[in-house]
Amino acid sequence: MSLPQSLRVSVTPLELELIACEQLVEIVPLISMEKTAFISGAYGPLRPPSKSKVPLWMAINLKLKKKCHIVPPEWLTVDFLQERLSRETSQPQFSKLPFRFAEISKVVLDVASDDVPNADKIRSLLKDLREARQAKSREGLQQIDHSELSLPNLCSMEINEIRPVFVQSMGLLSQLVREPENRAGDV
Amino acid sequence: MDDEDFFTSLGRGSSSTSNARGRGGGTTTNSFQDRLRRASRHDPDGLPAAGPSSRDADGDVRIRDAGADHVNGLGRGHAAEDGGDDDEELPDFLREDVSETPLQQLVRHWMNERHAPDILPVQEALLSELLDHIRRQSETVQLLRGDPSSSEDEHFRIMLVQTEVERVKFVVRSYLRTRLFKIEKYARHIMTQPEMQEKLLENEVEHARRYANLTDQHFYHAVLQSLPDSQQTLDDAPPFVPPMVAEPDRSRPVFVHAREDCPRITLPDGTPHEMKKGHISLTPYAVVDQLVARGEAELV
Repeated sequence: MSLPQSLRVSVTPLELELIACEQLVEIVPLISMEKTAFISGAYGPLRPPSKSKVPLWMAINLKLKKKCHIVPPEWLTVDFLQERLSRETSQPQFSKLPFRFAEISKVVLDVASDDVPNADKIRSLLKDLREARQAKSREGLQQIDHSELSLPNLCSMEINEIRPVFVQSMGLLSQLVREPENRAGDV
Repeated sequence: MDDEDFFTSLGRGSSSTSNARGRGGGTTTNSFQDRLRRASRHDPDGLPAAGPSSRDADGDVRIRDAGADHVNGLGRGHAAEDGGDDDEELPDFLREDVSETPLQQLVRHWMNERHAPDILPVQEALLSELLDHIRRQSETVQLLRGDPSSSEDEHFRIMLVQTEVERVKFVVRSYLRTRLFKIEKYARHIMTQPEMQEKLLENEVEHARRYANLTDQHFYHAVLQSLPDSQQTLDDAPPFVPPMVAEPDRSRPVFVHAREDCPRITLPDGTPHEMKKGHISLTPYAVVDQLVARGEAELV
């Protein structure tokens, strides 16, 4: 059992979260810390009250110990998400969002909702966005053929969500196309 | 990205720059701790490596502090990036770091390995570099833990460093386990294909060999020995049924994300397909395997 059954088909949302947590966010530290070398790079020095950039996992860690405030990413605002949502509902294509927006917004809202202005409004906007986009990706299933399907601006979590169905569908379609050639070769 | 090791930065933290920090204000406890640390550092030093490097670090820090005044206290590495980002309308979407840190590279290879139906070439140099780094960080942590003079601030940093070490270890393990899973699945295929073996580490090949032998023997003792000779083989390829030796299904579709503008590829139905940077496609693995191997695209 080198790889548990549940991990063989796809990666899990938790693993995606782990990857997303490598991204840098701005924090307002409440403690000071010298510049420290980590495997992913050197961060700090932290000097309250000036902002500093650290990986999200470190920000979460500090936040949980009440040692910093997380500055929400600039796209995690009511204005921006509202604008994306209206685009999402008025235009057929997916609008552009950060590739790992779902993971990052979840983590930030879970851990630091008091640092995000209008957190509840943002939550509901994110939910609306997700539903609008999900509907589109389901429609996308109609266009699937055996060779290629372009999915511009789709995000990491959404890809992971549709992966099993889409991969299987395309796999079936390519089998249907491939079969005659094989038979011809065998006979 | 940044070559300084934990030691130099610690050395800098403890033995230097209370002058630079004094004007920052609000750090009185810190500089007090610093004074404490400096006092202990002046006796015949316990950490030989920290001696000369901390002096280099002094100059370094002063420069950085001067710079920090106008970039709002950001570390130097990120300052330039930020400047560039501000010009763009949607920085986060468009930023695809050209230079990846070793860890980011490993994460990319990890995800490629997880999604690709085939076994990808092992990233031996990258792995050993990161394992080395993990070992160095852990050793430093051990050393500092045993040092009774380390301050609370340092304990906190030690905790963060350890957290990261565990995160990186997780990625390394998951990467290797994914490979191991595929190696066991395709063990017999690997043993018949020398070009597959080239993609593996030596001990991975050895594992595949032993695994294939073990299963063969097991099947033989359990069932095959009581069958007629003609039915004892394990590598039949009868028509119309899948062959007995499992092979990676290279036509399995994968989600591929172009990391840069990719050269034109040909789809199974014969049409050419060009992927611009940032494009995402669902397409059979065999179509894009070269792009993934060259790092121009990644599987997501």
